[in-house]
Amino acid sequence: MIQTFTQNDIIRYVYNETTEDENILIQDALISDAEMLEFYLDMLDVQAGLDKSYRHPSPTSIDTILSYSRKSSESHHTTV
Amino acid sequence: MEKIHVNDSELVSRYIQFSDEHAFETLVRRYKSKVYTTIYLIVKDTYVAEDLLQDTFIKAIDVLRSGRYNDEGKFLPWVLRIAHNMAIDYFRREKRYPNVVFEDGSSVFNTLDFAEDSIEDIQIRDETHSHLRSLIKLLPDSQREVLVMRHYEDMSFQEIADATGVSINTALGRMRYALINLRKMMSKNSPSYDTNLYSE
Repeated sequence: MIQTFTQNDIIRYVYNETTEDENILIQDALISDAEMLEFYLDMLDVQAGLDKSYRHPSPTSIDTILSYSRKSSESHHTTV
Repeated sequence: MEKIHVNDSELVSRYIQFSDEHAFETLVRRYKSKVYTTIYLIVKDTYVAEDLLQDTFIKAIDVLRSGRYNDEGKFLPWVLRIAHNMAIDYFRREKRYPNVVFEDGSSVFNTLDFAEDSIEDIQIRDETHSHLRSLIKLLPDSQREVLVMRHYEDMSFQEIADATGVSINTALGRMRYALINLRKMMSKNSPSYDTNLYSE
């Protein structure tokens, strides 16, 4: 008998929070449940979009951080 | 040529023990976009996000230098927690969302910060991704919160449930609605999708 899964289970599966045993059962269920498969593919599509949606900070911010680190290293060594 | 990938734990160790600036720079460059995007999606303002990104890493530096770092090698979740707290503290100080921002969330003060990219780079990047980011900002607060915590901060659903004081099923439900709503908004030109947003 194929176990029934909810959309919440698919969300856990998409985010790798299901167990190995659950993975096998979910993969079986996806083969036989076209609606669930469509939902799964939609969620993967959104997830892929989110992965590509990263913004990048300005080089100025990174320079400020690295500069602070170098200065803190100098002061750390003079006080130790 | 493929660079050798040194893991976070090793880089942190080199930085703490030998003040290896190159190790720290590698960590910063490895995670700057992830941390920055997380902050940006919370505060919705690139100018504020730039400031908070600097504050986040400066705090991380201070903790690492002081010898108080003890996170069993999990550098990214630790930095993301600092970033999240910085963003929340910002809201507590301001007690409101910033008003003077462009439609894509950018501020008039920092448009020059991106001038080092070519115009073509900026156009390609923005056209591809700014739409989705603007859609994320349209989500109800509870859904956006879970989405940011799970997708960008790498918190588990149980950790999110604990942090937000709800059951794991509620956290999962909010994430599900967030993703479904984003999918609907992304596909709004397709007649097969309705454009009504789900709320809890």
